[in-house]
Amino acid sequence: MDRRRRSIRRSVRRTLPAGVTALTLAALARPVLAHGGSLGGAARESLSVPTWLMLATGGAVVGASFLLASFVTDRSALDWLVERRRPVGLPGERTLRWAVGALGVVGLVGVVVTGFVGPTDPLSNPAVVIVWAGWWAGFAMSTYLVGNAWPALNPWRTIGAALPDLGRRYRWRFGAWPSVAGLLVLVWVEVVSPLADEPRVLALTVVAYSVVTLAGTVVYGPDTWFGAVDPVARVFRYYGAVAPVGRDADGSLALRFPGARLSTDLLDGVDEAAFVVALLWVTTFDGFVATPAWRDLARGLVGLGFPPILLYPGAMVAGFALFFGVYLLAARLSRRTAPTFVASATLARRFAPPLLAIAAGYHVAHFLGYFLSLTPALAAAVTAPLATVDPPLLVVPGWFGGVAIAGVLGGHLLGILAAHTTAFDLFPGRLQAIRSQYPFIAVMIFYTMASLWIVTRPDVPLPYLP
Amino acid sequence: MRHDSPEPAYDVPPDRTAVECRHCGRPFDSEFLLALHRGRSHPDAVDDDERQAYEEAYDAETSRLGRFRLKAVALLVLLYFGFLMVYAVV
Repeated sequence: MDRRRRSIRRSVRRTLPAGVTALTLAALARPVLAHGGSLGGAARESLSVPTWLMLATGGAVVGASFLLASFVTDRSALDWLVERRRPVGLPGERTLRWAVGALGVVGLVGVVVTGFVGPTDPLSNPAVVIVWAGWWAGFAMSTYLVGNAWPALNPWRTIGAALPDLGRRYRWRFGAWPSVAGLLVLVWVEVVSPLADEPRVLALTVVAYSVVTLAGTVVYGPDTWFGAVDPVARVFRYYGAVAPVGRDADGSLALRFPGARLSTDLLDGVDEAAFVVALLWVTTFDGFVATPAWRDLARGLVGLGFPPILLYPGAMVAGFALFFGVYLLAARLSRRTAPTFVASATLARRFAPPLLAIAAGYHVAHFLGYFLSLTPALAAAVTAPLATVDPPLLVVPGWFGGVAIAGVLGGHLLGILAAHTTAFDLFPGRLQAIRSQYPFIAVMIFYTMASLWIVTRPDVPLPYLP
Repeated sequence: MRHDSPEPAYDVPPDRTAVECRHCGRPFDSEFLLALHRGRSHPDAVDDDERQAYEEAYDAETSRLGRFRLKAVALLVLLYFGFLMVYAVV
């Protein structure tokens, strides 16, 4: 029963192991598990490599990529990678923007209406399929593979622009922390509630989010709200920094190398670096709460009198604090390994964007196969929104595991190259630039091994959930 | 439209002494790094001595980089064959 109810989300969680497992194995040119990239849970069962070796291999892949990147010490080559531009002209940009904005509003209304009155079978319900397959898988992939179109598509921005603006001053000392909290809350809701399987719950959540967001745009104005507070807009904006198409400082669209923006001074402070780390952590959290280790820990804590209702929020915050604490420690250590007197806050700010490429790589591994397998459901949802059609799942071919591998591998390579370029931008010494990265590479290895450890654990039902 | 107090870009611990760039005031850990910084960031403002110091520091760093690369290659080879053998045994 539980499996069926959580069908859509389960399938998401199960695609990650395939991607990451395959990455570590492919690193040693062993194509044994390359077939494991589809929806099925075959990867975990067919895994014959001991866990410690898999973790070590994952870590070694990251470390070896860093060693390879360290051979590139020619500043002019690195500058060329970052600064190369080709202007992109978009025909009829105003009309296109208007049409995309209208599409977003129609989509939002459609999701709410079909969520409340559509079929209760998740695969036949347009709200569920559009939100998870269309938006959170498909659209999110487009933000880092092509460019971030969310400012145009965002229905709440379109609606908010038509509403009055009280223009209240935002307290900038809060910085990005409200959006960090917002991201943790959204993912917590996603994990503990049947959002992916019960259309009514999904529609209610969308309505709740709309009320909060529209109230925010009225009080602070759309630019401030979506620029500083709204976590969703921030996720897509940061993913957009990985993408090849983006806006330059003067607002013109340009084509550049993927990840080129990650080595520019993208973030405003440590708080925004915290958001990047939170984005990495929430993907990990989703898998962590399905491990036996979490089940045992949760039982132990409840046995000691810990209130069950606080288990998931507590784990969410504690895990984020651990991830971010390790990251801040790396920024402090980097001052010593370089050596440099650049403030550790500046280092934390500059070395965070490269992690976005890694997050994007994991997102591809998670969602590309998932998105493709659900395209028939997506097509059915759009063409016959109110019918219970029981659409087929597209079976993704075996070689598709290779695409997931390429995603994770490409994300890591981009991230490491971006960190390398950042270091060369920050420091006058070439060897100093290489040494400054040691702690950050160690952190990347820690994140990679943590995710690998989670995906090698057996998948158990989430404890203490109704 | 950001934070009211921008964070300091540099932070020298009280127990350390920094050498400062006379052109921009940035603190550095050693004369060596300062020389590299002057040559890279103020190429038009340096005098002859500073230019010479930059070139010497750059050359010294190039030979250090060469040694670093040798070690990096050795480590890569070690990693590759190490894992190859471990996978053959396990």
